[in-house]
Amino acid sequence: MTGAHDPDPDLDPNPDTSLTARVRRDPGPAARWGAVMAVLVAVEAGALAAALLSVVASVVAALAWLVGGATGAGVPVEGVLAALDGARAAAEAVPTLLSRETIPNQGHRTAAGGPWTGTFLGLEPAHAWALRAALIYAYAFLIGYWLFRGYLVFRRHYRAAEWTPRDDRLDRFRDHGWGRFGLVVVVLFLATAAFAPALAPTTPERNLVAPCQHQVTYYDEAAGSVASTPVCTANLESASNGAGGPNVGPLSYDDYGRFHPFGTLPTPGKDLFTFLAAGARVSLFVGLLAMGIAGTLAVAFALVSAYYRGPVDLAAVVAGDSVMTLPSLLVLILVAATFEGHPLAEVYSGALVVALALGVTRWPFLWRAIRGPSLGVAGRTWIDAARSFGQHPATTMRRHMLPAIAGYLLVYGSMMLGGVLVATAALSFLNLGVQPPTPEWGRAISLGEPYVATQSWHVATIPGVLITLVVTGFNALGDGVRDALDPHTAAESGVAVAATGGDGG
Amino acid sequence: MSADPSERRAVISSRWSYVLRRLVLAVPVVVLAASLTFVAVRLGPTDPVGAIIGPTGDPGRYHEVAVQLGIERRVDGRYVAVPLWEQYVEFMTDLFTLQLGQSWVISPETSVYAVIASRAPQTLWLAFWSALVAVGIGVPLGFYAGLHPNTPADYVASVGGIVWRAMPNFWLAIVVVTLLSQSGRLVGIDWAALLVPTDVVTSPSLTHLHRPERLAAAIKGILPAALVLGSASMGNEMRIARTAVLETRTERYVEAARAKGVPRELVVWKHVFRNALVPLVPVVTGEFFLLVGGAVLVETVFAINGIGRLFFEAAVQGDLPLVGSLLFLFALLTIGVNILQDVLYTLIDPRVGYER
Repeated sequence: MTGAHDPDPDLDPNPDTSLTARVRRDPGPAARWGAVMAVLVAVEAGALAAALLSVVASVVAALAWLVGGATGAGVPVEGVLAALDGARAAAEAVPTLLSRETIPNQGHRTAAGGPWTGTFLGLEPAHAWALRAALIYAYAFLIGYWLFRGYLVFRRHYRAAEWTPRDDRLDRFRDHGWGRFGLVVVVLFLATAAFAPALAPTTPERNLVAPCQHQVTYYDEAAGSVASTPVCTANLESASNGAGGPNVGPLSYDDYGRFHPFGTLPTPGKDLFTFLAAGARVSLFVGLLAMGIAGTLAVAFALVSAYYRGPVDLAAVVAGDSVMTLPSLLVLILVAATFEGHPLAEVYSGALVVALALGVTRWPFLWRAIRGPSLGVAGRTWIDAARSFGQHPATTMRRHMLPAIAGYLLVYGSMMLGGVLVATAALSFLNLGVQPPTPEWGRAISLGEPYVATQSWHVATIPGVLITLVVTGFNALGDGVRDALDPHTAAESGVAVAATGGDGG
Repeated sequence: MSADPSERRAVISSRWSYVLRRLVLAVPVVVLAASLTFVAVRLGPTDPVGAIIGPTGDPGRYHEVAVQLGIERRVDGRYVAVPLWEQYVEFMTDLFTLQLGQSWVISPETSVYAVIASRAPQTLWLAFWSALVAVGIGVPLGFYAGLHPNTPADYVASVGGIVWRAMPNFWLAIVVVTLLSQSGRLVGIDWAALLVPTDVVTSPSLTHLHRPERLAAAIKGILPAALVLGSASMGNEMRIARTAVLETRTERYVEAARAKGVPRELVVWKHVFRNALVPLVPVVTGEFFLLVGGAVLVETVFAINGIGRLFFEAAVQGDLPLVGSLLFLFALLTIGVNILQDVLYTLIDPRVGYER
C-alpha cells in the first residue's frame, strides 16, 4: 500500500503520488464504496459501539488497577467507568436493524395451539430467531466482504503500482480451500462474539445474570390463560438434568414457549445458546489480549535479538527457554489459584488475569516461531546498508524488519490463538479462571460432564464440538495465510508443537 | 561423512561440543526457571503461610510456620521478617541441593519426596502408554498418508489428524469415559468386563505387575486415558511424519537408489523411513510438554492419582511449598528432555554440528 500512510499531501514532494490526491482526482469509486460502508455501519452503529465500549471499560478498569498498584494511590476511575457504562447503555438504546427489538423472537400463544403474539410478523419463535440469526451472520459476512472490496477498489483505482507481490499472495489464498474454510469459521466466531446480545434467543442479562428480576409472559395450558412468571422460575422448570429428570434438548421449546436452539443447561436451567454466545465474547477477549501481549513481547525479542545477535541473542534464548521450561498450563493453574479473591481477579470475572498469564507464559512459543524469519531478514543486505548510513536501530527494526515478519506473526498468532482458547476453557473446566456469572465454554462442558450419556448429552457435547471447530478454524486460517505468504515453506516443523500452545489443554 | 579418520574425529568432536554448549546453556535456564518459581510462589498475591494455615486454622501457629518456611526468624524472642534477598538465596540453595522440604496441606508432615513417590508411578505409567499410543498410531498413519499422497485415505488421515489435535483433551476424556461406560449398551461389548474386569474411571493398581492378569488390568485401565492424553501428540506426529515422508521421497539419494534398481520396499524401509524419522525426534520429545500439561486434566477426569492431579490439588489448596518443588522438578525434567533431544539429534543426524 504505497502512499497509504502519507497523511498530508502538502508534505509530499510529488502530490501526484499521495493517496488523497489520487482519490481527489477520481472520487467516484471511493465515494460509492464509502457510501455503502457508511450505510452498513449506520444500521448497526448501536451494537458495534456497545461491543466496543464494553471492551474499553474492561481495559480502563484493568489499567486503573495497574496504575493504582504501581503508584500506591487509588485511581478514581469510578466516574469514568460509570460514564462508559452510561455510554454503552445509550449505544444499546440506539435502534439497530438486526436487534431483538426489530425482529423479536420472544412471544406467547394467545390460546392453546393458537397464533403467536409478540414475535416478528407473528412467526413461531424458532423461525423468528432463525431469521434474525441468519440476517446477523449474513450482515457479518457482508461487512467483511465490503472491507475486502474496499481493498479491491483501492487496488484498481488508486494504487500507484500496477502489481505488488501482495496480489499474488491474495490470489494464492483465494485458491486455498482449507484456508477459506478457516476464514469462514473465524468470521462466524467473531460475529458471534461481536453480536452476542442480539444473536442469542434471549439476553445474558435476562437469562444468565439476573433472571429473577425479569418476567416471562407465556400461555398457561393448565389455566387456559396468559400468565407471567419470573425468568428464574421458568428456567428451573426447563433445566436439562439428564436421565429421569426434565430435559430441553437442542431445537426445542420449553413449557414457557421459549425456543432453545442448543437446549438448556442443568439446574438452574439457563439457555445454552445465550451462554455460549456470551462465552464467545469472553474467549475472544482473552484470546486477543493474550496474543496481543505475547505478540508484542515476541516481536520485541525477535527484532532485538536478530538485529544485535551475539550475547543479546543468547540472553533472549535463555530468557525464552526459562519461561518455556515451566509447563504453561501448570503456571496458569498456579496463577489462577493464587489470584483468587485478588482485586485484579474481579476485572471481567477473572478473564483479565487469565489473559495476562497466558500472554506472559506463551510469548516464547510465538517468538520461537518467528525467530527464523527475523534472523533471515536481519542478514539481508539492506539491513547492513541501513546500519552503515547510521539509521537508528529502532527505525531499522520497525521499517525494514517488522514488515518482513508481520505475516509470520499473523500465521502463528492465529494458530496459537486456538491453544489459548483451549487453555482458557480448560481452566474453567477446573473451576478456575473465568468465574460465574460470566459464561465460559469450558464451564458448560464441566456442567454437562455428568450427563453426557443421558438425554441431556447436548450440554457438554455442543460446546466441545464448537471449541474443536473454532480451534480447527484458526489453524486452517493460519495454514492458508502461511501457504499464501510463502508457497515454498516446508509445511511442518517443530514449530507446529509450539503453535498449539505447548500443552494439551 | 568423510572417510579420512582425522577429519571424521574433528567432525565428531565439533558435534559433541555442540551438545556441550547446550549443556552449559542449560545452567542459566535452570537458575532463571527456579527464580521464576520463587516469584510465582513467594511474591504472588497469596501469603504462603496464610494459605497453609487456612481460614479455620490456628492463627497462633502463624509464626511457627513462617519460621519453618524461612519467611520469618526469631530474634531475641521476637519474630522478624527475613529480607527478601535472603529468602531468595535460601530458596534457591534448598532447590539446588534438592532439599525440597515437606508438604503442608495435602499430606502434612510428609516429605515432598514421599508425596511425589506415592503419586509418580501412576503418571509415569500414563505417560509411557500415551507416548506409545501416540507414536504407535500417529507415525504409521502419517507414513502411510505420506506414501499415498492425495488419495482418499490420505485426506481422511490428514483431516482426522487436524481435528484430533484441535479437540480439547478434557472434553475428549469425558466423551471417551462416557462411550466406554455405555459400551455394553451401544455396541454390545462391555468395556469394563472385557478380558479383565476394570473400572473405566479409576487409578490402575500398579502392584504385582509380574502376574499377567494384574499387568493386563493395569494396561487396560490406563489405555483410555493414554489414548486421550496422546491425542494431541498423535495428530502432530501424523502430520509431521506425512510431510517428512513426502519430502524424503523426492530426495536425490532416493532417486539414485531407485535408479540403480533397489527394490521399492527396500528403498522405502532403508532410505525413506529412516531419514523421515529425523524430523520426528523433536516432536516425540516435545510430547513431554503436552503430557505434563494434559496430565492435570486427564488425571482429573479419569480419577487417576498422579502428579498432575497432585499439582492441581496443591495449587488450589494453597500448598505452595509443594507447588514450588513440583514446578522446579518439572523444569529440571523439561531441560533434561531437551538435552536428551539434542543428544539424540547429534547421534542420528550427521548434519548437526556442521552449522556455524
